[in-house]
Amino acid sequence: MARVTGSNNMKLLTKNTIWFLLIMLPLLAAGGIYLYHQFDKELKKEMDEELVNDQIQWLIYFNSIPDSSPVFRITTPEFSIHPAQGPADAQPFLKTIMQYQEVEHKEVPYRQLEQVIRIRERFYTLTIRKSLIEKDDLIKNIALVMALAFIGLLLFTILVNRLISRSIWRPFYQSLDKMEKLQLEQMHHLSFPDTSVTEFNRLNEVLLNATTRIYHDFVIMKELTEDAAHEMQTPLAIAQNRLELLLQDEALQPAQLRSIAQTHEALQRLSHLNHSLLFMAKIGNKQFVPAGNISIKAVLQKHLRLFEELIRDKDLLVSTDFSGDLSLLLHPILADTLISNLLGNAIKYNYPKGTITIQLTDQLFSICNTSEYPPIPATQLFQRFKKNASNLENSNGLGLAIVKKITDTNHLKIYYIHKEKEHHFIIRPDRHHH
Amino acid sequence: MNILIIEDEQALQESIAQYLGKQGYICEVAVNFREGIQKINDAEYECIIADIGLPYGSGLDIVKELKQIRSDAGIIIISAKDSLEDKLNGLGLGADDYLTKPFHLSELSARVNALLRRKHFGGNTSIIFQDIQVIPASKSVLVHQKPVELTAKEYQLLVYFIANQNRVITKSALASHLWGDEYDMAGSYDFIYSHIKNLRRKLMDAGAPDYIKTVYGTGYRFE
Repeated sequence: MARVTGSNNMKLLTKNTIWFLLIMLPLLAAGGIYLYHQFDKELKKEMDEELVNDQIQWLIYFNSIPDSSPVFRITTPEFSIHPAQGPADAQPFLKTIMQYQEVEHKEVPYRQLEQVIRIRERFYTLTIRKSLIEKDDLIKNIALVMALAFIGLLLFTILVNRLISRSIWRPFYQSLDKMEKLQLEQMHHLSFPDTSVTEFNRLNEVLLNATTRIYHDFVIMKELTEDAAHEMQTPLAIAQNRLELLLQDEALQPAQLRSIAQTHEALQRLSHLNHSLLFMAKIGNKQFVPAGNISIKAVLQKHLRLFEELIRDKDLLVSTDFSGDLSLLLHPILADTLISNLLGNAIKYNYPKGTITIQLTDQLFSICNTSEYPPIPATQLFQRFKKNASNLENSNGLGLAIVKKITDTNHLKIYYIHKEKEHHFIIRPDRHHH
Repeated sequence: MNILIIEDEQALQESIAQYLGKQGYICEVAVNFREGIQKINDAEYECIIADIGLPYGSGLDIVKELKQIRSDAGIIIISAKDSLEDKLNGLGLGADDYLTKPFHLSELSARVNALLRRKHFGGNTSIIFQDIQVIPASKSVLVHQKPVELTAKEYQLLVYFIANQNRVITKSALASHLWGDEYDMAGSYDFIYSHIKNLRRKLMDAGAPDYIKTVYGTGYRFE
């Protein structure tokens, strides 16, 4: 049930924020640039007007001086007047130039007005300059304040957007959480609170209908499973018991007796098979709900006692290393089956005078047995009816499939290793489940 | 000894009655819940064998009825459902034993035998077969009054054989009696053979005749 987080997969809120940023950032940037240019233009216009005003003042001044005055020749960084060739310009020329400034020790921008003017039959070039450095500083300051305001606005909007989204989507996440934690057996207890959003109410209704239908099917399936057991076991019982009675007939020849015994045996296998398949279906339906933790050590010791004769019969050497006890949340029947199947296999597929090594710690249970049987191919390991020792009677090929089913449905992991003629199974809790 | 078999499956009911009849029990049958209730109220039985799924009612209700009329009959529940709840339910209501279908008739016979012994003699009686004396209380065996040392499995085998004397018992019935459901995991029948060989040798060493006959390809007969 791990949540997949890929490149095409992000949280709703994140996606929302990213889209918002993608749209808002260029918009704000374009707005900023436009405003900057407008400011710049306005200030230049202002500056030019000042220069023209200054020029007019100068002209009034020059024209007011008495006629006897000498030729004007003044040069300062901000003002200069020199005699020049005519004719006079009708309009002043305005442009931006770079000029060395003593105070700053560098080239700084100036706005310059230049015009050839006529003062009493003489022509002069009049140049008035104003430093742009203060104006640049001003624009920079304005831009900075503007940028800060924009960023603040953006952050605030994102925050508000997230808060609103979170509150609007809350019922959705609540439903999602409920569905995620939902277990088959508790499906009929499912209910969703009413929300103020029509779509969410619709979603909850659809979810409720779907789960009700699933639960209904599950109950039918469960009943069918048990009914099937009942319906099949009864005819099997009749057939088996009739054959057992028939065996008592003293008039029967040995060959006939043998046929009856074999038929009886086959029926017995059929009923075991039926039993195992139904058992697997029940595990799959999660009909074995654990009531508490089970000590695997106790289960192991019980089964070592149960299988004592079989172990002695094959002259197997069983070595146990119980350095801890694995405590598993498992239904007692499943715990019994798990250990019984694994230990049973370790005995069954062993050779006389072979060994079984069992290790138990707080983290894992491991069982290892010698065997002449070849390693089990990984693809067939836990498959139903894949017999790896088809010559063995009374093996229905379901033992490991049942073990796998138990581990899969109870948050356990099983590993199989084959090394130097030894089959090794390890079971440990799956720590990555939800 | 009177036994009432309450089972709606005709063939099954007949098989049980026939097998137990040959073991010396007097068997009555009922085919549904009503008939069952009527018969347990009309007569005394030492043992009742009741199926859970019956027409007109459940075998579990038969158990309740028996407890209500304070019957001291032994009760064995048989069911096609191998469900733990049913089993615990049945035993909780006061049934003495629970068997899941399909079962071996020899197993049922052994259970009836053990139940009646427990009920009527408090387990304080010994089982006698010719020159063999089995004392269930101490799980010991005497042959010609001399003790014979048997392992737990050999002892179980002997008691099973005596309960099913003169009957052919299949190897699979012996295996599931000795190992129960765990048997499915255990492999071939070789180990049964070795237990029987040891039991036979110990009995014969103590001076008993060879009671355990091998029925070729089928199983064994104790006679």
